[in-house]
Amino acid sequence: MTMARRLYQRMAEAFPHEFKLAFGEEMLRDGEDAVEQIAQRRGLTGLLPQMADLAVRLPVEYLSEMRRDLRYAARALAKSPGFALVGILSMGLGIGLATSIYSTGWQLLNQPLPDAANASRLAMAEAPVSYMYIERYREQRNLFSGVAALETGIPFNVGGNNGTKPQRVFGQLVSPDFFAVLGVNAEQGRMLDPVLDGASGTTSVVLSDRYWRSYFGGAADVVGQTLRLNGQNATIVGVAPRGFDGAATLSPSDVFVPVTASAAMAPELANDVLHAPHVRRFAALFCLAPGVTLDRAEAALDGITRRLDKDDPAAPPQQDKAKRVVLMPAGTRVPIPRKMLPVLDGFYVVLFALILGIACMNLATMLIARGANRRRELAIRLSIGASRWRLVRQMISEGMLLSLLGGVAGFGLSVALNALNAQVPHPAGAPVSSAMGVSWHGALFAFVVAVICGIAFSVAPAVQTTHVAVGPALKQGAAAQLAGYRRFGLRNLAIVGQVTGSMMLLLIIGFLAIGIGRGAEVGPRFDVRRMILASFDPVRDGYTPEKATALFATLPERLRDSGEVGRFALAAQPPFSGNDETDANLPLAADGASKKIAVVANDTVGAGYFAVLDEPLLAGREFTEADERTAGSAATGAATPVILNATAARSLFAKENAIGRRVRNGNQVYEVIGVAQDLRTGLGMQLPTAYLPLTARNFAQPGPSGITLMVRTGGGADAVAGIRRAMAAVDPKLTLFDVQTLGDYLELNRYAMKTATRTYGGMALFALLLSAMGLAGVTGYAVAQRKKEIGIRMALGARKLQVLRLVLREGATLIGAGMILGFLGAMALSRILSAMLTVFARAFQVGAGDPRLVVGVPLLLAGVALLACWIPARRAAQIDPLEALRQE
Amino acid sequence: MVDRSESFLPLKPQWFHILLSLAAGEQHGYGIMQDVLGRTTGKVRLWPATLYGSLKRLIEAELIEESPRRPAPEMDDARRRYYRLTALGRRVLNAECERLQELVDAIHTKRRTVAE
Repeated sequence: MTMARRLYQRMAEAFPHEFKLAFGEEMLRDGEDAVEQIAQRRGLTGLLPQMADLAVRLPVEYLSEMRRDLRYAARALAKSPGFALVGILSMGLGIGLATSIYSTGWQLLNQPLPDAANASRLAMAEAPVSYMYIERYREQRNLFSGVAALETGIPFNVGGNNGTKPQRVFGQLVSPDFFAVLGVNAEQGRMLDPVLDGASGTTSVVLSDRYWRSYFGGAADVVGQTLRLNGQNATIVGVAPRGFDGAATLSPSDVFVPVTASAAMAPELANDVLHAPHVRRFAALFCLAPGVTLDRAEAALDGITRRLDKDDPAAPPQQDKAKRVVLMPAGTRVPIPRKMLPVLDGFYVVLFALILGIACMNLATMLIARGANRRRELAIRLSIGASRWRLVRQMISEGMLLSLLGGVAGFGLSVALNALNAQVPHPAGAPVSSAMGVSWHGALFAFVVAVICGIAFSVAPAVQTTHVAVGPALKQGAAAQLAGYRRFGLRNLAIVGQVTGSMMLLLIIGFLAIGIGRGAEVGPRFDVRRMILASFDPVRDGYTPEKATALFATLPERLRDSGEVGRFALAAQPPFSGNDETDANLPLAADGASKKIAVVANDTVGAGYFAVLDEPLLAGREFTEADERTAGSAATGAATPVILNATAARSLFAKENAIGRRVRNGNQVYEVIGVAQDLRTGLGMQLPTAYLPLTARNFAQPGPSGITLMVRTGGGADAVAGIRRAMAAVDPKLTLFDVQTLGDYLELNRYAMKTATRTYGGMALFALLLSAMGLAGVTGYAVAQRKKEIGIRMALGARKLQVLRLVLREGATLIGAGMILGFLGAMALSRILSAMLTVFARAFQVGAGDPRLVVGVPLLLAGVALLACWIPARRAAQIDPLEALRQE
Repeated sequence: MVDRSESFLPLKPQWFHILLSLAAGEQHGYGIMQDVLGRTTGKVRLWPATLYGSLKRLIEAELIEESPRRPAPEMDDARRRYYRLTALGRRVLNAECERLQELVDAIHTKRRTVAE
């Protein structure tokens, strides 16, 4: 009985202060009386409704108090609009950027593949495998519900049947069960089907919703129509759902062609690749059977693959212990290897923490400063009976309101940022992120972050500032002496934290931005507008391999004879393409004494390539058309000529003369005929590169970018017309695509890098701005605090310079400490990040040595921070001692 | 002045009971509780937290106010607050009573037609 009574007392005590003040005593008494009566009459169970009544009313009362607090906080903030504005701006910037990062990067990593019902069960092999192996994997019905094969980024020439110009679009080459494995259902018609489209020579094709809308204008009767694909007739059997534009790639796919199509329709399928065990070109997409884990599937696949490798007499013997198939979850837009996921997630978390941390530190320092200025008000309220907890709650409400308003502003900012990003023209084939707009996920994220930050970072200031000695505070108001300068006081820690965070953010982002930006600096010595690039793809224009070979033999001469085309060269890819991650690397071993092996990127270039680029070779000569012919005819058995760039030559032959030396890759022997400058540097690295001669084979099997014709011109639009005329004279059926100046091409190519640099640069700027705001606010507050002291000093003969130094010294100490910590933190963080991801490692390697950063960032930060301190300090020096002393 | 009393209708049951108890004159919280208990023959019990929470909201809504008038000293409990209806509270109570009355009339009419 007494227990029930005590419980009742406890719960009644827990009601909000205001409520207790007005009704607490009566409620307690009435309740206790009732408890006694009821317990006597009906026992303990009879008390249940009464306890339930308390339990239900408790949160209701708190919510109502909170509403009142928020209303009061809104009034208080409205009374100091400057403070509110700065607070909302800084929280808004922080939350806005974090939401922006969240909606793009984070979602990209975690958002399930749109419209794929099986997304959670999908897995993909990290390395491409041969189609034959995929067929064997598919037999494991206890492990997999299905296994599909796909190849992404396949170009197709679409249309062109009735005199119209064919359009080059990108698509995926997929096994007929692809859509079934993903769990994607048709929006119209049907998807590819293993039974209906399983026979070779099928002509079915599925369109993406995007392509159906843009090319067919969303016509309702598209299913059943004929589509010209690479000059062949295909039947449109269905349209994929709206959100779905391909798996395992950021670039949208417009057509889905089954691997059972003829080689004429998809030249990638030539040479019977589906039955060639050594052509490892297909991505294997697994739908795990229910209950099968990734690890179990991986182990089983390893066993199967080892057996298959062993049974194949032609396969090179492998002794490795490593897993032959490594799986990664594939339910997102871009499958990411499992060991990289924590790195990427970690990178985002660190970014979030730094950005939000700085913004929150700002909020905290501002609240402290504000609290100190309101000491008189607080003291009055305490002395007339407000509880300290009540004041703390009030201040937390203010912080939370600021943070919430900041959250709204931040969400607006992230929407604006996204809209701004959408304004930037997307180059063709660049990742289109229709599904990556700011969504309710982003809004929820912003809200949660705002609430958590608002509460977390206003508790400490609130507790500190409400710790007021009522008497002196009432007498002196804001000018009352604080508890003394505390070296590790909350405010100082906040400033140091802020400077540390800014420094880390600036350095890390600076490393990345400069590392990435370096890549964009690569370019030729001539005016990039005076070179025109035009691509063509004889095979996709319907050429047989024989006809393509013939074209290769005669094209240069016919172009020269036409008189329409100036200096030109051919290449298998545009110059400075910098897509080194996708290029196959050659492991080259030097013949002779050194026996060094260098893994180099390789470019395939035609005769006169370096001359057209105005890049004279450092030594030797470049390819001639004769080289192209000898390299093409394997029968001669001669070594293939190769040109190395300076870095490759140095790593293979050190300082020795490379000309005439031989290098080999397996059985393939190359003879070095020239050494070129380092041209392509990708992410700013001096990548070792080997240039191989263009041969007829490149014409018969062009890569995704076709064959690039590079023409130097005097400028002017008629140059393009001339090239078109000359090509039409060679064969009107040859379609030129991607016709653009080198300048335009480089611009597109750098698009992603520029976007990244812009984003990161913006963030670094934001960090600087926020820190400056925080520092200025806090120093200004300190100056206001010490107005009287400064007045006395000046009355006693201190000069302005001495006052200035006095104020600046304190700020400088804190800034210095923060900068050292920030520098160390950035170094440690960049080490951690590079250890985990090579892209970071490269960017950091280039960026970290940059004097602009290592010296510039600290100088910039110190400059801005000192400026932020100096402005209020100058005000301190201008204090009129008479006025300051009179102000008692 | 616009009559705000309509905006409170229909009243929450516990609000209605409190207002009804105060219709006769000033009363304190415990008195209201007892009054309601007696009037409803024990069927409606306003538990303390609900009672005082409702009183708080009724004060905020300006339907009741704290009364400065105290009963005779020998009956006065100094530690208790007394409440009384405001003019608005009285209007709201009347309006609610009317509304309920109409409902009851409607029920009677219905019964009669069913009986016939």
